[in-house]
Amino acid sequence: MANIEMTDSGLLIVTLYGELDNHEANGIRTQLSSAIFSGQVRAVIWDLKNLGFMDSSGIGLILGRMRDLAPFGGETFILNPSVTMEKIFSFSGLEKNVRHCTVEDVMREMGGVLYEK
Amino acid sequence: MKNEMTLSFVAIEENEALARMAMTCFITPLDPTIEEISEFKTIVSEAVTNAIIHGYNCDGKSLVTLHATMDDEKVMMTVRDEGAGIQNIEQAMEPMYTTLPHMERSGMGFTIMESFSDHLSVQSTIGSGTVVKFEKRFSPVTETSRMG
Repeated sequence: MANIEMTDSGLLIVTLYGELDNHEANGIRTQLSSAIFSGQVRAVIWDLKNLGFMDSSGIGLILGRMRDLAPFGGETFILNPSVTMEKIFSFSGLEKNVRHCTVEDVMREMGGVLYEK
Repeated sequence: MKNEMTLSFVAIEENEALARMAMTCFITPLDPTIEEISEFKTIVSEAVTNAIIHGYNCDGKSLVTLHATMDDEKVMMTVRDEGAGIQNIEQAMEPMYTTLPHMERSGMGFTIMESFSDHLSVQSTIGSGTVVKFEKRFSPVTETSRMG
């Protein structure tokens, strides 16, 4: 399950819940690609804090979106994976995208505002 | 505790979750750590997804069969399909190698299975199927590890 949110400043925030396997990834892919191609996405922020499980389908999903973003020079942040997920990311060369912080921390760094306050 | 099980299901993607759930229940008596459970589930998920997608192309009628035995410290498991088979196992096991890039398969399945298991072997024959066999050891339960 995924909650997808786009900020005015072009940050696509994908919050994942439950278990991300091949079946789930296929559902999420379509939603995400249309969001990326429709707007000015500067970065995709994947928040895995509430994700209970992920296999290599998660890698396929994230690498696929990095490819979509590449023509626009967009960045990818992978937040708060579990220990096992972090191992999977490092096997795949994605460890440099992993951060342990909140979505708001990344947004501050990227200069975006999620909630008007 | 000694135990043994067999589970068969048709090749549809929804059964990836069924396989993980059933196997997680099976290993519970070993009192695994969260990380052990999570690594074990990942191996099962990779092997079963391969059987469903690559073995049977999600045909919805052919059977994937899991078989597992357990003793006090390890689980030995096979994931069997009677589907397409793998042309070149060595190549299939290379990181990032996939025959289905358009489906965004990452090609990391075997790398993950090898890293998270204690022993992994693959037998495959074109046209008659694939058997992935692996073993995973679990840290023995002691009074200190319980107090954790």
